[in-house]
Amino acid sequence: MQDFLFSGWGAFWVTLFMLMPFAAMLAYIVYRKSVFDTGPGTTPVKTLSKMEGIWLTFVFVFFVGINLGSLKYMPYIAEARAATSGLPLQEIDVTAKSWGYEMSSRQVEAGRPVRFSGRSVDTQHGFAVYHPDGRMLFTMLLMDGLKQPTTVVHTFKEPGTYKVRCLEYCGIAHHVMLDELTVVKSN
Amino acid sequence: MSIASTLVHNTPIFGKMFSVDKSTGLEDINAWPALMIMASFIWLAVAGLLGIVMPVTQIFDLNTDWFYTTLTLHGAALAFPFGFQLMVGVGLHRSGGCVGKPVTGIFPALTFITMNLGAAILTVAVLMGFKVSLVVMFPLPLVGAQMGIWSMTTVIVGFTGIYLVLASMILFYPILVLKMLFFGKKQPELVLSERSLNDPGMLGMVLAALTLLVAGTPLVVVGTTLLLALYGVIPMAMAAWAAKPIVFQYSFYIFAHNMMEAMALMVTSAMYATLPLYLADGTRKLFSNKLANLALWILLLTSVTSFLHHFITFYPNQPSALSYWGNIMSWGTGIGAALSIFTVFATIWQHGLRAEPGIIAVLIAWALYILDGASAVVTSNIAWAYVLHGTMWQSGHTMTVILAMALMWMGVLYHHYPVMTGRKLDPTVGWWFVWLFTVGSFGAALSMLAGGAAGMPRRFAAWNQEGWMIYGNLTLFFGLILGAAFVVYAYSLLKSRDLSVAVGRQPVAA
Repeated sequence: MQDFLFSGWGAFWVTLFMLMPFAAMLAYIVYRKSVFDTGPGTTPVKTLSKMEGIWLTFVFVFFVGINLGSLKYMPYIAEARAATSGLPLQEIDVTAKSWGYEMSSRQVEAGRPVRFSGRSVDTQHGFAVYHPDGRMLFTMLLMDGLKQPTTVVHTFKEPGTYKVRCLEYCGIAHHVMLDELTVVKSN
Repeated sequence: MSIASTLVHNTPIFGKMFSVDKSTGLEDINAWPALMIMASFIWLAVAGLLGIVMPVTQIFDLNTDWFYTTLTLHGAALAFPFGFQLMVGVGLHRSGGCVGKPVTGIFPALTFITMNLGAAILTVAVLMGFKVSLVVMFPLPLVGAQMGIWSMTTVIVGFTGIYLVLASMILFYPILVLKMLFFGKKQPELVLSERSLNDPGMLGMVLAALTLLVAGTPLVVVGTTLLLALYGVIPMAMAAWAAKPIVFQYSFYIFAHNMMEAMALMVTSAMYATLPLYLADGTRKLFSNKLANLALWILLLTSVTSFLHHFITFYPNQPSALSYWGNIMSWGTGIGAALSIFTVFATIWQHGLRAEPGIIAVLIAWALYILDGASAVVTSNIAWAYVLHGTMWQSGHTMTVILAMALMWMGVLYHHYPVMTGRKLDPTVGWWFVWLFTVGSFGAALSMLAGGAAGMPRRFAAWNQEGWMIYGNLTLFFGLILGAAFVVYAYSLLKSRDLSVAVGRQPVAA
């Protein structure tokens, strides 16, 4: 459940969760107070203030809860966990240039953390890795002229062929800037 | 007759929609705003057609160059000469009527000329091959020239256009607003509905103007340096610091992000200013001005530094601490939104509502803005940023804020149109516009967000790579409904009737 929540589709449903009750309430209040009963409200201000407090408390708790729940899925945290796991990191150096990638290796083992270190040598590029089922697993923003590479540590769970795409518009052949990674079973 | 009135009067078709009423003595607050609003609708017509071309090129597998050309032109036309200029036009008319100061002199002229001339020059550059997208993607313009994709002349023309547009937004418009609100003598005959800075509707406008001026200054410095180097006024070596991608990108997003936030402040303040005018019991008061003002201040304070969320996937080049800060501040804007939600609901609940197309458009625009805000805070969370950044989610978010702002100001225009032109709009046609816009805008926004959730890349000319075409088709479908809404709106403007024979009822005060 939590894994789904912090995926792309999880983001979509959380957004709908924020929109739908609000939209329904807006429609109800506008209908009720413009068609059904246009007279002044009889709800005491004190009651409204109490509702305001409950509402703001709910929003605050929801916001904090969601963000705390996401900590586990933040790549920065994943990097720290990989460093303390005792498992040796697999290192892949990536160089992006319009419109392709040079990679130090295109094969990694499942279950072992991989550190991708990416650089660009011309304009901005992305390095997004897609699961074979089409989900995006992560992306990196690569920019020219920096001393250190952009990095992500990711542990692939399943073997398969993973697509790599540039997600930063980089000119007229941006959509053909594609590559692949092969994830094999761990020894 | 002022130059602005003459220009409106002499423009075919669009001029008929916005010809200024000169019988009321209010030409000084009507002429330039009417010209800006008219120009924004001309750009909307251009942007709308280009928007349809994007999915059509993909559905019929046409030349991908067309996709990237229309992508750049559609985005730029929709965001700046349409959306921003519409906001400026309606907002200036409103503030003129609230403080009794004329919208005349050099600054309205400069705001108008630099925006439209700049957008026209940028259009020429894009047609010459300058396909850099709405956000320029620096250093792509220079790299493209080095690779021979477009010429250096094209880069110079394109940068000139962008610079003029930025000058309008960052310098001339904010200075004009601040000048009107803080300087000059009040002319009682121009006051339609007096408001002070304690009024949330005015406070938001001041905060937005200050945000544009302050957040835009670094980009003006960088842009001026680059442009001087491109024109050969200073040696390129002197501009090397400004040409560093990281310098340009950060200064660009400090502005671009805060420009969107400024527009959001304006959306909220316009809603705060307009809602009380349509309360059923005639109280003309929000539930709490203090709560409304607090929401605006929270929005301002949290949003200014939340631009750091644009660089979350840039770690460790952007240190994680700054990304956490961007994450927290972005969700902090949600607290401001929660306050404004309560204020609006409590106001309507306590005082009732006279439901007319204008105010319902304003409320639906605000709901669209809440959807946009929800999508924005979600993608500002570090975990979600890594699976959404660079996808259609971001395009959906950007488009939604522009649509929310457009609908908000078109709704507010329903209210101000009679004062500006001496004519009234047909409410029956107005309802058609509101419902078509609601279906089209929410449908298009959710289709694009769903595409992003499915990993569909933004600014990408091959939607068929992973079966993403369904989201493109849905966006086109709802986009056509949205287009129909705009056509209905234009029709209502064209068919507006003289006040003496008007249909429906609308309050006339600002």
